[in-house]
Amino acid sequence: MSLAAGRWPEFAGPAAGAGRRPGVLVVWRLEVAKLASLLRVRAIAILCMIVPFLAVAGLNLQSATPGDTPFGQWVHVSGLAIPMVILGFGAQWLLPVLTAVVAGDIFAAEDHFGTWKTILTRSRTRGQLFAGKFAAAVTFAVAAMVVLTTADLAAGLLAGRQPVVGLGGQLVPAGHATMLVIASWASQLLPVLGFTALAVLASVATRNPVAGVGIPVLIAWLLQIVTLINLPAWGQQALLSTPFLAWHGFWAQPAFYGPFREGLLTSAGWFAVCAAASWLVFARRTIGGAA
Amino acid sequence: MSRGRRSAVAAAVAVPLLAVTVSGCGSTNLTAGRLQASIAATFANLYVLQQAEQGNPRPSPRSLDSRAACQKGGTPDIPQDGSGGWLCQITYLVAGPGYPVIARYNVDVQTDGCYAADGDGPASVNGSPIITGPGYQQVINPLSLIDGCFDTT
Amino acid sequence: MTEAGFAVEALGVTKWFGETTALDQVDFRVGPGVVQGLLGPNGAGKTTLLSALFGLVLPDEGSVRLFGRTRAEAGPGWLDGVGGFVETPRFYPYLSGRRNLAVLAGLDGGDAADLVDAALDRVGLADAARRKVRGYSLGMRQRLGLAAAMIRRPRLLILDEPANGMDPAGIRDLRTALRHLARDGVSVVLSSHDMGQVEEICDCVTVLCRGRVAFAGGLEVMQAGAPDPVWLLDTSDDDAALERARQGGGVKAGRRDSGGLVVHAAQDRLDAYVLDLGRAGVAVRGLELDVTSLESLFFQLTGEPERGSPGEQSPLARPPRREREPAGQEVR
Repeated sequence: MSLAAGRWPEFAGPAAGAGRRPGVLVVWRLEVAKLASLLRVRAIAILCMIVPFLAVAGLNLQSATPGDTPFGQWVHVSGLAIPMVILGFGAQWLLPVLTAVVAGDIFAAEDHFGTWKTILTRSRTRGQLFAGKFAAAVTFAVAAMVVLTTADLAAGLLAGRQPVVGLGGQLVPAGHATMLVIASWASQLLPVLGFTALAVLASVATRNPVAGVGIPVLIAWLLQIVTLINLPAWGQQALLSTPFLAWHGFWAQPAFYGPFREGLLTSAGWFAVCAAASWLVFARRTIGGAA
Repeated sequence: MSRGRRSAVAAAVAVPLLAVTVSGCGSTNLTAGRLQASIAATFANLYVLQQAEQGNPRPSPRSLDSRAACQKGGTPDIPQDGSGGWLCQITYLVAGPGYPVIARYNVDVQTDGCYAADGDGPASVNGSPIITGPGYQQVINPLSLIDGCFDTT
Repeated sequence: MTEAGFAVEALGVTKWFGETTALDQVDFRVGPGVVQGLLGPNGAGKTTLLSALFGLVLPDEGSVRLFGRTRAEAGPGWLDGVGGFVETPRFYPYLSGRRNLAVLAGLDGGDAADLVDAALDRVGLADAARRKVRGYSLGMRQRLGLAAAMIRRPRLLILDEPANGMDPAGIRDLRTALRHLARDGVSVVLSSHDMGQVEEICDCVTVLCRGRVAFAGGLEVMQAGAPDPVWLLDTSDDDAALERARQGGGVKAGRRDSGGLVVHAAQDRLDAYVLDLGRAGVAVRGLELDVTSLESLFFQLTGEPERGSPGEQSPLARPPRREREPAGQEVR
């Protein structure tokens, strides 16, 4: 068959997209499939799985203990202190990077490849494409956190199931400590989703993958510095870096949940504002067709 | 693309400036009262743990009746709130109400309400990072370095 | 869609980009089964107009109706039955040709996925379909773009310079394919900056110049109103040839900078002139069609200087036909 081989009977008939109109779910599924085929995403998944075990091995090889971080002095005594040390050390610096690498690129990549006009001229509205891509970025963030949490917990349990000294001086038995480790890691998802939305905003606004990833990372690291200033209570609450620390209350005696509630509000606020702003920028944009 | 870079630079400059400007308005919850309440209770629990590790009989935390008095910078002349270096004295009872024991700590308080308290005497209580258990094994002295957090909301 | 309705009806479309007016009160209509050419020099607004048809660009004024419905009226089904591309078709370079079409078919829904293999076969990419698109040539991308349009079962096909990067055989096949589609009732919008390509296939033509419609109508109407074609003439005695031309007979001639003559004349007048030269003892060493009458009209409408106008050598002048078209293309 070739172009000149006469009529095109197989392409006649009712137009595509008529009848069942699946909507956002289809876009989400395709975006997740595209993400899964990216080298970068596979590399991150593998790193999330092995880095906690490398950390355990690294700590076992030396007798010194990490100072300056809660649970640091107990890493050789309680295995479950290790995932808490990893959390305390790395969460605010590395988790925003983890989500920005995908969320900051998922929109800007289409600008980079020039494919917006390709996918916007199919049977999906801009709203469906936006929602599907956003949902795929969120899916990646959640999946990465689940893998990371599971690997950290497994590494910790492998290192030992002794009781852990909590942040109120109390001795926490292994079973309860496991719950607290899971809860502490799970609470990171709130600010991570805030950074996901921030990265999407950067990605949509700058149309550049490097800026889309770089800006939220820069802001995350900047906030780490800003948080060292003695801001008033409302100031600290407004920063998106603060919810990363809400887990402190879980380990106190008695436990307190004020920072977690505030962190929930702060994360939700950043998420809502950034998501709304992203949509507003994207909805009326001119795609190509420059003068 | 230069638009993105310009926004990034603008954020990098504006956010710290804004933060410093704002740091005067409103109060912080990193107060002496909260620190004292937290470190006293934490000390009591850790004292019980220390006694258990040494094979001694374990007092109940309530019987210790621990109280803390903390001063920022070791002097009352500066504002007594906010992050930084504090000196805390923890008074507790071991041998009855008439014989209070005082433990001293250099406390570094961070803006998130967590603190690291370094033991500063008496030597038998928090001077040494290692203590000996009943079977002569070496264990970490729980009172040597106290990590704690209090609520800042 | 009724048979009497237009496939495309754009009225009064205006679009500004900052200070620049890209489109100014443009009317554009395409009937069913019509092959409509959209012509204009680069920067005339062709791409902006096509983008507006697809909804990639939202006009500041005016309305765009596809099959009788505006974007607001039709909702998500606005582009049902509409396929094509604006500028060079772009795909995901890290996926194969087939996977790219699979992704697009997924976005389309319906049974588009079943048509992917047939479409790839039709455009001649069945063998290359497994290779990643980053290794495709421009011509292959154009074919993939056509395949991507066809899996939507289009009743309206919008193609932006589809012959760009294709070899002459491909261009001929494309013309045949588009004519077949038109006969089946598919409306085709074909944009180009080259009148020559459009002449052979389009029924109607709209010419854009600086965002405004310079001409809109049937091809025959254009041909009737077009000036004479332009020929390049090499003779044994240019002075005598010029003298004979000056004596009338509906032939205008002038010298070319590169030697030889340029002649403006209709075919029959030219024939008479050549015979006349022969009788006068002037031999014709070379005769070549440089600019067709429609191309000439196009230049007039769009303000581009005409190639070979006597005494004029503008830096914007296009090179002669033989340099423009790839070897092997027959000259009419």
